[in-house]
Amino acid sequence: MNTTRYGDVIAPKMLIGVAVASILLAACTTAPVKPDGAAEARVKLTQLQSDPNLASRAATAIKDADAAVRAAEQPEADKELAANRVYLADRKVDTARALAETRFAEDQRAVITAQRDSARLDARTREADAAKGQVATAQAEGAEQKMAADQARGEANTAQLAAASSQQQAAELQRQVDVLQAKPTDRGLVLTLGDVLFTTGRADLKPGATDNLNKLVAFLDKYPDRSVTIQGFTDSVGSEDYNQGLSERRADSVKSYLAGHGISSMRLSASGKGRSDPVADNGSATGRQQNRRVEVIIGNSTAALR
Amino acid sequence: MNATSKAHRGSRVQMTLGFTGVLLLAACASAPPAPTANLQAAQQAIAAAERGEAARYAPGELSESHTKLASAETAVSEKKMIVAEHLADQSRAEAELASARTSAAKANAVNDEMKRTNGTLVDEMKRGSGDKP
Repeated sequence: MNTTRYGDVIAPKMLIGVAVASILLAACTTAPVKPDGAAEARVKLTQLQSDPNLASRAATAIKDADAAVRAAEQPEADKELAANRVYLADRKVDTARALAETRFAEDQRAVITAQRDSARLDARTREADAAKGQVATAQAEGAEQKMAADQARGEANTAQLAAASSQQQAAELQRQVDVLQAKPTDRGLVLTLGDVLFTTGRADLKPGATDNLNKLVAFLDKYPDRSVTIQGFTDSVGSEDYNQGLSERRADSVKSYLAGHGISSMRLSASGKGRSDPVADNGSATGRQQNRRVEVIIGNSTAALR
Repeated sequence: MNATSKAHRGSRVQMTLGFTGVLLLAACASAPPAPTANLQAAQQAIAAAERGEAARYAPGELSESHTKLASAETAVSEKKMIVAEHLADQSRAEAELASARTSAAKANAVNDEMKRTNGTLVDEMKRGSGDKP
């Protein structure tokens, strides 16, 4: 009876034990179910960890988030505690992502700055090229202008030279004319050779009295386009024929002298005017001396004579 | 009578003390101390977020954080210390998220401005050099 009673006592206790064990076992089979929301937090974390731009950034925050997600994944009978862990895990994953994005954005600035520098460099290069182009254009224009200016200056110089030359020539001619003591008249330059060249009654030139003729030769050498007309004149002493002849011979004598000194006879013409055209009164010795003369008329040019 | 009453009074005092002890034990078991450190951490996290202009860049998160903190304080007043601790932790996590999102928004705003400037520079450059397509 004792044992039976003992057995009676034990049986219910064992039954209770089995029941508790089965309850615990049942609890074990249901417990591994992860709290609601933990899976979503894990998915978000995995996305963050597999993002090549973000995974390596905010490493500490990602590690914290990972720990929080693991905690949230722990089976928890206390629903309130489980929900709290899931909430914290979700926010920590989001926080880690935001921090990683911040770092990524900050790191991107170097790239953007490099792009800007590149763009700036590009812009400066272009500006420099443009400026260089402008300089080149300006230089080309400058060169052109300079050339034009040089040409103009050259022309001016030529003109000036020509002017100077003609001025010089004119001056030279004047000087030569002055040397010859020729007088400009409407017939041309008239050089009057006095009777000192000739002995009275004779037509040959006095030796040593040819200075004026030599000057004339020099002048005609210098101005080869000029021709001369040589005219002999006498005073009124003696017959007209005699004086005519004498004036012709004297003119010829001068012509011969010039031709003998290299002046082409083509440029020379000689004639006698006798006692016509006196330049002074034949009544006085001085007047007659002035009338005895040979006039050399220097034409303005060959063309003018023709 | 007197002795009896004295003895009766003594047993009543003992009973009162015992009852108080039970109450105190009960209080200790059901109401742990307020989660002061967690609340302070949440407050600091909110203050940091506000200093970082979270009100402008992450207003939703900041508002949520404030709400959680207020709930945590209500829970403390209701002696629900475990709930209060959880709410304080959530408030802190939300405030930290607000700060992080504010940082990200600011960083991206800076980058966008830089890119815009670059774009303008490129445009100006193209205009400047006259080789607009």
